[in-house]
Order: sequence, then C-alpha cells, then structure tokens
Amino acid sequence: MAPAILVRELRKSYGSKAAVDGVDLEVPRGSFFGFLGPNGAGKSTTIRMLTGLIPADSGAIEILGFRMPEQELDIKQRIGLVPDESLLFDRLTGAEFLEFVGRMYGLRRPTARERARGLLDLFQLQADRKIIGEYSKGMRKRVAMAASLIHHPDLFLMDEPFEGVDAVGARLMKEILIDQVRHGATIFLTSHVLEVVERLCDRVAIINNGRIVTNGTLADLRSGGESLEDAFVRLVGAERQMERLDWL
Amino acid sequence: MIAAILRAQFLSMRMTGRRGALFSFITGIVWYSIWTAVACAVWFALAGAEATTLGTWVPRGLLGICVYWQAMPILSASMGSSLDMRKLVVYPVPHGRLFLVEALLRFTTGLEMVMVVAGGALGVLSNRAIGGAAGPRTVAAAALFILFNVLLASGSRSLLLRLLSRRTVRELLVFFLLLLWMAPRFLFMTGNLRATANRLRGFDSAAHIAALPWTAAADIALGHTTLVALLSIGFWTLLAAWFGRAQFERGLRFDAVAAQATPLSTGLTRVQSLAETFYRFPGAILPDPLAAIVEKELRSLARTPRYRMIFVMGFSFGLMLWLPMVLRGPGSHGTLSHHFLTVICVYALTLLGQVSYWNCFGFDRSAVQIYFAAPARLNLTLAGKNLAALVFIYLEVGILVGITSALPVSFGYGQVVETLVVVGICSLYMMALGNICSVQYPRGLNPSQVAQGGASGRFQALVILLYPLSLIPIFLAYLARYAFNSEVVFSLVLAFAGVIGGVLYWIAMESAVETAIKRRERIIQDLSTGEGPVASE
Repeated sequence: MAPAILVRELRKSYGSKAAVDGVDLEVPRGSFFGFLGPNGAGKSTTIRMLTGLIPADSGAIEILGFRMPEQELDIKQRIGLVPDESLLFDRLTGAEFLEFVGRMYGLRRPTARERARGLLDLFQLQADRKIIGEYSKGMRKRVAMAASLIHHPDLFLMDEPFEGVDAVGARLMKEILIDQVRHGATIFLTSHVLEVVERLCDRVAIINNGRIVTNGTLADLRSGGESLEDAFVRLVGAERQMERLDWL
Repeated sequence: MIAAILRAQFLSMRMTGRRGALFSFITGIVWYSIWTAVACAVWFALAGAEATTLGTWVPRGLLGICVYWQAMPILSASMGSSLDMRKLVVYPVPHGRLFLVEALLRFTTGLEMVMVVAGGALGVLSNRAIGGAAGPRTVAAAALFILFNVLLASGSRSLLLRLLSRRTVRELLVFFLLLLWMAPRFLFMTGNLRATANRLRGFDSAAHIAALPWTAAADIALGHTTLVALLSIGFWTLLAAWFGRAQFERGLRFDAVAAQATPLSTGLTRVQSLAETFYRFPGAILPDPLAAIVEKELRSLARTPRYRMIFVMGFSFGLMLWLPMVLRGPGSHGTLSHHFLTVICVYALTLLGQVSYWNCFGFDRSAVQIYFAAPARLNLTLAGKNLAALVFIYLEVGILVGITSALPVSFGYGQVVETLVVVGICSLYMMALGNICSVQYPRGLNPSQVAQGGASGRFQALVILLYPLSLIPIFLAYLARYAFNSEVVFSLVLAFAGVIGGVLYWIAMESAVETAIKRRERIIQDLSTGEGPVASE
C-alpha cells in the first residue's frame, strides 16, 4: 500500500529565499506524524503545498497514492485540513458551516446535517444561532477540527491545531485524533508544543531552514536519553547562551 | 507617535501587490482628474463673475460643498480611511494625537472638496471686483471652512459608525438619511418652481442672519462684515471641534462586536423560519456543491452589516435619484418615465456590484482557502457566488416593482418582464467582468464593519466609466427599438445581447478560473493579510 504522504525533492522559494529546499518525506499510513521546526522553518509552506493551496516550484508529491497536482481532486476528497489561518466563514453558525463543508465534500444533505449535529455535540459547541464571528479562538479551532472530520478523511493535515485551545478542549481534541489513528487514519500535524508531540506522535520529522534535519520514530530521536526539546534545540542549532542586555 | 503610525501604515501598504497599486493609481488619476476639471471650472466661473453674482453663488456653492463633504461618504457607504482602534488603543498614545490623525484622514477623504474650495478661492482672487488685496482674507476663509468641514466630518463619522453598528438601527437610519437627502430635491422637482425658489431665497436670508459657516466663509472671502463673519466661523469651527473630539472619544470606548452580537436563542422565530426557507430554497433546485455555495452565500451576505446596508440603498437610492424627475410631470422626462422601473433596477444592480460581484471573495477573507482545498471545481464556486448575487438582485427588483406599483408611475406587466430580462442580461456582462476582477484584484473585507471595506469613491469612479461598456448591448437594443419602432427588433437584439453575454460570461469564467488557479497563493495572501493601523477605504 502506498504511504500516506510521499514527497521527493520538494522546493518552494519566495524571491531569493528558499522556504522549502529539497524536502524528502515519507509518512506511513496509520501513523501519528509530528512535523516540527522553529518559526519560519517551512512547516506551513510544506502543508500548503501538500494540500494544493500553493504550487510547488519543483519536486513530486504523492498523497495516499495519488499524484499532486494531476489527481488533485482525488487527494482533496480524502484529506481533512486544519490550516494555520482560519478557514471559517464568520457569518455562518457552527452548524451551518459544518453542513456546508460536508456538502462541499460531496456528502448528501441529510447526512451532512446529521454529522454536523453530531460533531457539534462531540466538540461541545453550542447549537444556538451564534455566528462563528462571535466564537472565541478555542471554539474556532474546535469547529475547524470538526469540519476536518465531517467527510471522514483518511489523512489529516493540521497546522498548529491546539493553538489557543484550553486544556479541556485540547484533551478532547487529542482523544478524537487518537481514536482516528486507531481506526486507520493518518495524522500529520505541526505544533510548537513539544509535550503534545511527545505524547501523541509515533514518528517525527524536524525541518530547519527549509530542509529536513531528522526524520524517524520518536524512540530513535530520544535514543540518547535526551528529551524531545533538547533534541529539537540541538538539531536546529539553537544551543547558544542567552545574551544579557544591560538595560533589561 | 503620529509619524510612527504613518510609517507603520506606509510599511503595511508597501506589501500591496503591484497590480493593486497600479489599479489604485489609475483610479486615483481618473477620480482626481475629474475633480481638477471641476475646480478649474469653478475658478474660471468665479474669476469672470460680477460682484452681485459672487454674493449670491459663493455661499450657495460653499453650502453645496459642505453637504457633499458630509453626506457623500454616507450615501456612497464609503466613509474613507480611518484609524483601526483595535490595533492602536493598547498603546499609550494620547487620544488628542489619535484624533489629529483621524482628522487628517477626514481631510484626505474630502480631498476633492478641498480642490474645489481651492479653485473657488483662486477664482475669487482673480476676480477684478474683489482684487488681489483680498488674498489673506480669502485664504483664511477657505482654510477655516475646510477645517470646519474636516472636524464636523470626523464627528459625524464616529457618530454614524456607532449608530450603524447597531443591529436594529442600521437599515432604518440609512433609509431615514436617504429620505432626508431626497426631501428637498423631491419638493423642488414636484412642487411649484417659483414657490420653491422663493422658499430658497427665504432660506438664504435666514442663513445670512444666522451667519452659518458657509455664509460666514463667503462673507470673509468677499469682504462683507468680516468681523462678525470671523466670529461666526470661529464659533462654528470650535463647535465642530468639540463635536468631533467628543464623538471620537465615545467611539474609542464603543464595542462594535457587542452591539452586533447575536441574541442567544436555540429556537427559531417566525421571521427566522421564513429566512431559513429562503436560504434552503437553492437546495431544492440545484445539486451540491453548487447549492451549498449558493446557500452559504445567501446566509453570509444576509447577515453582513455592510451588505444589508447596501441592499437597502440599492432600492432606495435609485428611487431618490430618478423619481423626482418622473414626478415632475408628463412630457418633461417622457422616455425616463416610460423606462423608470428598468432604470432604477439597473441602478440597483450597479450599486450591489461593489459588495456582490466586483470582489466576490472579499467577505470570505482567509476562509477562501476552503474553495481551493475542497474537492469542488472553482467555476462552481464562482457560479454559486454569482447565483447568490443574482438572487439578491432579483429580490431588489421585486421590492422595486412593489414600491413602484404604489407610486403614481404607470407601468404594465410588459415592462416588468422587460426589466427582468434587461437586468438578467446586464448581470451577465457585469458578472463576467466581476469574476475577472475578483481573482485579479481580490481584497479582504471585514464583514462586521459597516462603512469600511467596499469600493472606494475612486473605485466607484472607475466603475462608472466601466458600466457604460457593459451596458452597450442593452443600449443597442433600445436604440434598435427607437430606430425601427419595433418590439420584434428590440426583442431580437435583446436576445442576441443575451447570447453574446452568455458566451462572454463563459469565456470570462474560464479565464477567471485559470487565473485563480495560477494566482491562488497570491489570492489567499491578499485576502488573509491584515491592514496597517489605518483601515483603508
């Protein structure tokens, strides 16, 4: 069976700056994959290329055995996306938005409506007439994740899914994701919260300056007895003493 | 601090794409060229006028400028750039300085009127009856009058924005303002001309006695009762400064989000049930995902404060402009009277353009990603958005037919059908152009902001130049009807225009989709990017 994600020599530049510089990546099906890197390392750009939101300058992308961009629609049909920027329509209620997303993914209307109601309950979102524009940041993340689940995708691409979510919401979301992996889905997520990655992911890749600096199981990465944080800091070359400012 | 704000704004604007900058530059050139011509005309007219003519027309002209300066931003729903207080209020900047920047922005919003005042001042100075010696006096009068207008505009803008942010007040207020604007024109056009003129003369005398700002400014410029006039305009300017500052302070403490918040309720009221039926209707006749997109658009737009306001303006503004001409009497505007319904409906179509089809992804902002991420073809997205716009356009037409049937304007079923067809064909051409504009010049709009985010005055000026192009086929159909005096020829040309419009729409759609796929990264970026400390028009 083809891997969930297979990327070869992926490149993307903005002017003279290479945001993604020859990335090779293989994510096995059924894995919980953490994609880490410091700010500006190229994580979001990679996810955006995987989802077809931006074109790659060069390289090959294969998702669930389908080639991007040739089989773009087949890929989109099978992935659930939680982007860094909100993809929510502010003037719809949570229920209306979830139903809309379901229908965009080809679900029949009664099915979309029923799943929307179920997801609202699952994510503990109120089923009132409140529009998304009035939601808190955590609620927005929850409804975005609910939307990514509605068509029951095989692969989830998530950019900072826990950002701004409270402890209760984060726990709920984690349980749902673990359950999805248990049922055969693949999860590819970026997060700056290394504790979350450490608890959830079985495989990790670290990107720095647009290049993959390590890729393997979490156990391999911590084989020297290092914590994930120590390994991360070492691999991205950020081990320097904090300079003190006289005036601070 | 002001320099820091302006620099931050400059740096924010630097990130705008070259296409957008070029587009703004061209529309700016067109808009200000028109007003330069007006200012020059005023200059030459006043330079050659007699003293008595100046005494009569300068105060009236200044009154007109004042009305335009204060009312036009409201009527065009484009209140100009303003400070984005959410971003600035956290810093320890004295409110007085923020107000100064806000006043400067009001100056830029009324720049065309500054040009006309400058033209008028040059005209007065060039006039032999007044003489060059009146230079300092005239310049002082012009400066004080501009200052008065800037401060008054600042205050009225803050006040109106707060009022327009309230859910139940917004549409009523727009309607009331339009009626207020319409009333004098209506009276003038329908009543006895001489009686109206006499009443206006009486108003002129009263204006002199009360020493209103435009009269005072005119008196100073022309050398009449200078001291009284100076005291008067000084008083008015101080009053405007107090009003502007007080309203600005209240605006700083105003929570627009709370004012627009949805009342908590789980059940549906009767009105909400009706609305729900309206939203669900496309689903009954269209397949998904097209139906889902149309339904989403209907729901979103109906809840967007700015869209609702423009919708109200769509059917009231046309009536305001054209009805007085029709009611003036038979014979005076026979052709207009005959085509009244069609004219006001096409006018409504053009007004809705700025929030419907010229920038159809504007209100989606960063959520536009979903159209590129979901497994639905982009032409369905554009078609869905166009269909939703068409639903609102025909809703406008329905309202206008209802209102017109209650007015003493005669029209039959034939004209209703003609209007429906003409509006449909015009929509084809405008949406064809609109789809291309939407992917070439996308711009994020804040759906919660009532007055910010639509087309600016300059954009509207360009659109006014573009509209005749898209209306040419319809114009040719009417020309054919006039030339051949035949309904059959008219219908044939109209049908031909419809076919050509359909082909054009299809070609434009293909082109727009191709462009959107190529530019998807830029489109998402343009629609997701926040603005600087100054929220532009």
